[in-house]
Amino acid sequence: MDPAELNYYILFYNYTQGLALHELLRSEGLNARIAPTPRSIQGELSCGMSLLVREADIAAIKACIERHHAEHHSIVELPCQINPNRGKFC
Amino acid sequence: MIYLDNAATTLKKPPQVAEAVLRALQTLGNSSRGTHEGALDAAHTVYGARVKIAKFFGCARADHVIFTSNITESLNIALCGLLRPGDHAISTDLEHNSVLRPLYRLETERGIAVDFVPADRQGCVNYADFERLMRPNTRLIVCTHASNLTGNMVDIRRISDIARAHGALLVVDAAQTAGTRPVDMEALGADVLCFTGHKGLMGPQGTGGLCIREGVEITPFKVGGTGVQTYSKTQPEQYPTRLEAGTLNGHGIAGLSAAIDYLNEVGLDAVQAREAALTRRFYEGARTIDGVTVYGDFCGDRAAIVALNIRGCDSGSVSDALSQDYGIATRPGAHCAPLLHEALGTKAQGAVRFSFSWFTTEDEIDAALYALRELSQNNG
Repeated sequence: MDPAELNYYILFYNYTQGLALHELLRSEGLNARIAPTPRSIQGELSCGMSLLVREADIAAIKACIERHHAEHHSIVELPCQINPNRGKFC
Repeated sequence: MIYLDNAATTLKKPPQVAEAVLRALQTLGNSSRGTHEGALDAAHTVYGARVKIAKFFGCARADHVIFTSNITESLNIALCGLLRPGDHAISTDLEHNSVLRPLYRLETERGIAVDFVPADRQGCVNYADFERLMRPNTRLIVCTHASNLTGNMVDIRRISDIARAHGALLVVDAAQTAGTRPVDMEALGADVLCFTGHKGLMGPQGTGGLCIREGVEITPFKVGGTGVQTYSKTQPEQYPTRLEAGTLNGHGIAGLSAAIDYLNEVGLDAVQAREAALTRRFYEGARTIDGVTVYGDFCGDRAAIVALNIRGCDSGSVSDALSQDYGIATRPGAHCAPLLHEALGTKAQGAVRFSFSWFTTEDEIDAALYALRELSQNNG
C-alpha cells in the first residue's frame, strides 16, 4: 500500500448499521474491514466502529450503498496515520 | 422430576443452548464496545441473533429488534415509551401483572386512562368490547396473545383491525406463544411484539426483547452507556441503540440464538402440533376425573396450558402433594393474573396450572393424570 494513499472510513450511528453494511458488502464481494473510528473524524454522533475501505474499492462500495439505501452516518477520507511499510517485529 | 411448569420457564432446553452459552462465556467481549476480536465476536453474535429473530417474528427490520432482560422489561419499555399524559389505553382481564402494573403506574403517575375488556367465566373476551371502549384519545391496545392462566388464545388479528380502524397502536404480549407456534407480527397486525427468551423459545433466562414496526417511535425507558455517540448528552435516536442502554446479555443472547436455530430445525408447526396433542391428551383425561374442575375454553386453538382445581382444595396444597408425592412440578396460586382469577371465581382458591413443552412426553402426561385421579379420590 502506498503510504500516501487515502483511507476511507464509513461511519455509522451504531454497530447494528455497521454490521449490516459489512455483511452486505461481503455478500457482494466488496472488501471492507471493521476498524476503530479515528477520534479525529468520529464527531459526536457516529460510533466507535467504522468500515475501513481502500481507495480502489470506494467507488463500487458507494454504488452498493446507494443501490441498497444502506444506513450510515457518512464516509470520510483520511490519510493513512500509521506507516503500512513500517518494520514489524511480531 | 416431571416438569410441567413450562409456562413459567422451560426447564429442558436443547443441548445446543447450554453449549452456546458456555462458548460465549469463554470467548465474547462486549458488543458495541470496540473492534478487537472479542468485541467483534460479541457484536456479530448479537447482530446475528437480531437478524434471526427479525425473520422468526416477521419483523421487517433487524435493527428494530431490541434485546431486553425479559418480557416484563419489554412491556415496560413499550408502555412507558408510548403512553403520554392524557392518553387512553385498552387492555383485558387476561393480562399478566407485567402489563397490569405498568398500566396502573402510568394511571397514577401520568394520568393516562385505562379500560379493561372483561373476561367471562371461561376466560374469553368479547371482541365487540374493544370497539365499545375505543375513545378518540385511545393511543394503544395492549393484549396477551394467550392467557398464561387458562391457555386461551386471543384473536390478535381481529383486535388489530379494530385498533387500526381507530388509529391506535397494538402492543402484543407473546410470552406464552413465542417459540410454540409461528408468530408473525405482520400477519398479526402487531405494532410492537414483546417476547421472552426463556419460555417457549427455550433460551436462557435473562433474555427477551421487542420487535417494533417501522414508524413506531418509542421513547427510551432507560438511558445511559451505549458504546456509541459518547459525547452526545442524549440517548442515540437510532434503533436498536435507543432502547438498549447498558451492556447486553451477550452470553444469554448467544444461547437464545442457538435455541432459535433449534426451533427452526424442528419446525414451529411440529412444535405446535406436538404441544396441542399433549394438551388435548391431558385435558381429555383431566376433565373426566370426578371432582376436577378445568378452566378455560377448549373448543379451539390454545396454548399448552391447563389450569384446574380439585373440589375446594387449596391449589397450593394440591401442587405441593403433586410435587412431594409424585415428583410432578406444577404452578399453584394466582399466576400474576389477578383480574382473570377474579373473572373465573378462583381468587380465593387459586388454581393448579399444568403447562407442557416440546420436550414433555406422553408418559409424563399419563403420570400426571394418574396422580390427579389418586388425589381426587383421596380428597373426596
